[in-house]
Amino acid sequence: MTQPFPPPGFIPAASAIPGIVVYAPAPEEAEAQPEIVEFKCPQCQAMTAYSVADGGLRCTYCGYYEPPARTIVGKGAQEFEFTVETMAVASQAHGWGETRQELQCQNCNARATLPPGRLTHTCPFCGSNRVLQQDAPQDALRPRFLIPFTIEADACRPIAEKWLGSSWMTPKSLKQSTVAGFTGIYLPYWTFDTVTQADWKAEVGHQETRRHYNSATKSWESHTVTVWRWESGRIRKFFDDLLVAGTARLSHVLLNQLQNYDTHALVAYEPQYLAGFLAQAYDVPLEKAWEVGREAMRADTRDACRGQASTSQIRNFSMALDFSEESWRYVLVPIYMTVFQYEGQPYQVMINGQTGAIAGQRPVDWNKVWLAVGALVAPGALLSLLGLLAIVLGVVLPPALGAAAVLLVPGIILLIIGGIIAFTIVGKARRMSDV
Amino acid sequence: MSELTGWGTEVVIAVCPHCDWRYIVPAEKATLRCPHCFSADLEPVTEGVEQLPYLRPPELVTPFTATKTVADERIEKFADGIPFAPRDLNPEALRGRVQPLYLPMWLVDGDVAATWEAEIGFNYGVVSHQERYSDGSGWATQQVQETRIRWEPRVGQLERHYDNIVAPALEQHVAMEQALGVYALDNTQPYAAGTLERALVRLPDRAPQAAWTDAAPAFQATAGEECRQAASADHIRQFRWSPAYTGQQWTLLLLPLYATYYLDDEGQPRPVLINGQSGRVYGVRRASMQRAQHTALIIVAIATVLFLLSLAAGVAGLAVPPLLAAGGIGGVIALCVGLGAIIPIVRAWQFNRRPVEIL
Repeated sequence: MTQPFPPPGFIPAASAIPGIVVYAPAPEEAEAQPEIVEFKCPQCQAMTAYSVADGGLRCTYCGYYEPPARTIVGKGAQEFEFTVETMAVASQAHGWGETRQELQCQNCNARATLPPGRLTHTCPFCGSNRVLQQDAPQDALRPRFLIPFTIEADACRPIAEKWLGSSWMTPKSLKQSTVAGFTGIYLPYWTFDTVTQADWKAEVGHQETRRHYNSATKSWESHTVTVWRWESGRIRKFFDDLLVAGTARLSHVLLNQLQNYDTHALVAYEPQYLAGFLAQAYDVPLEKAWEVGREAMRADTRDACRGQASTSQIRNFSMALDFSEESWRYVLVPIYMTVFQYEGQPYQVMINGQTGAIAGQRPVDWNKVWLAVGALVAPGALLSLLGLLAIVLGVVLPPALGAAAVLLVPGIILLIIGGIIAFTIVGKARRMSDV
Repeated sequence: MSELTGWGTEVVIAVCPHCDWRYIVPAEKATLRCPHCFSADLEPVTEGVEQLPYLRPPELVTPFTATKTVADERIEKFADGIPFAPRDLNPEALRGRVQPLYLPMWLVDGDVAATWEAEIGFNYGVVSHQERYSDGSGWATQQVQETRIRWEPRVGQLERHYDNIVAPALEQHVAMEQALGVYALDNTQPYAAGTLERALVRLPDRAPQAAWTDAAPAFQATAGEECRQAASADHIRQFRWSPAYTGQQWTLLLLPLYATYYLDDEGQPRPVLINGQSGRVYGVRRASMQRAQHTALIIVAIATVLFLLSLAAGVAGLAVPPLLAAGGIGGVIALCVGLGAIIPIVRAWQFNRRPVEIL
């Protein structure tokens, strides 16, 4: 049986020479989707939403379930090179974050303006959910993969309550029930793979003990000297799926605490995953994010180079570092967010939608903190004070000098230890409330 | 002696009894020395002529554009700079033995209809980074661009006419091409009877049927390159096709060269070939170890005489003390001269270790 010609999947292409016909593979079907994808239950016409528990679309009214075309691609998810064209596009198009988009609800005809970066929106008037599809210029850098939510929204509250109660610094009056209303949102992230190869050299210090004869004391004495020797080496490191946040609107301190996403769970992008959730487009462009990623990679590689030296005493360190096999992905990762009010101040809390890790701001009862600081510093201060008094007393009553030493030495030690712990507590308290 | 017609002049077939090369030779030159091995005189072929692959005259000739003057200059350069050159390796001898010669080559024209498939490659730029760090100045970043190839599959159909696809008419064609370079085919002329007035013609030892095994891959290579151009690609690989050939036209083309030789130490002829179109010279340049040894012996003899004179001066020095110093100095000089005898041998040996030069 003869093979058909051209083979299936090939279409005519331009030919620059008469007499030669060229067929090229048909381009992958553009994942062109309607401007708005409506998720309506085929049974009761109610709105459906992505169910974290079921892993598909679920109608909350009649229970209808529609599994998504779930394609777990994990770390095999397609990666893209830093082509000249990509970088040019990335430097011009800033994703969906640049322009505001207007959404017209197909259900109640209400108009809502989406803030920059929001891909999905639930109509605030009728609860209709719609997924907004990006338009052509933005297609070049749109997310191709995402990590679906595995933590249900209902699970966020107990996680947050446990977290709030985990610190003695929070005020008693803080009602744990105030932390509610978590909103699921897909955040933009860039993942980077690369291989770094670095050649380094440095002077490395080695401690050597030397003996010499002291003619004055007529004895042998020893002293330690640092001998500097040049060392060099080579490091090759592979970075796999280094995550860099594609949003500048959220605290990177908090995001870094939640960044333990497992990219083995990456799935191909399907609008169903976003149904019922908000999604944000990137506002940190690829080039900027790649700078951040490179900075982390080169610091890591430099540390690895320094770790290769035979001792930790290093000077005149230099290295040449080459990046190769660089690739990137634009992905969406799940996060729950909420903002709760305490004494008129807003506090932000985030929960990793995949692992349940939590980070956020918590109000601090500074009275408790200062009380603890006082309790820590007081014993040392008291003993030191008594020691000083004993010294003064020793002027007229010499035996008191012995007691002064007994009081002053541990007093100062306790004061130093207490001061360090107090400093740490104050710093932690400041970080809790001020991120 | 076999007489042939169609060549426009009276020619015969002659064979070298030493290397078995067969030639078409003007009847009056039938006893020339073989311009291939220069080891024997040609002998006219009288029997079995009908079994030879191809005896018809050629259609095309590439003329000698490297004139005799150019050839002489190249010979001069070839013979120059050889330490202890064999006595026979001199420009006069080489020039005196120059024999113009034509080598045969097939050109095939034909129509091809085929389906094909290949992977074609497009160049694209990738941005990468190189970084330098030092404790004093921190990080310095340099952006670099690399060119990579994106490979994509293509299939197609082809209906093309190809001209002048080269196919060897000699078993030694590839070796001769490596030695003399590729001939340009843009200056060919129709064969004329006068072509043989001053040159011999090597007879093909491969008929078109035998040469087709080399012509077919040449057709494929040409078609592959055209398919690359048709797809506007930068590269092509794994080109496969299913061709159907029609209308094949075979043309015999003669390629010009000059052949000469010199005799080495053992009296064996060493051929020197000159491309009759480009003037490129191919030949083995060898120093004469015999001459080097002879020179070394002369030096040794001089050293011996000096040594004996020094010895005599030394003996005389017993009676006349100042001569003792002269004897000592003479002895040292004799030793130095004697050691210098190794130089000619080492020089010739080193020269002969060099790979074959193409000038």
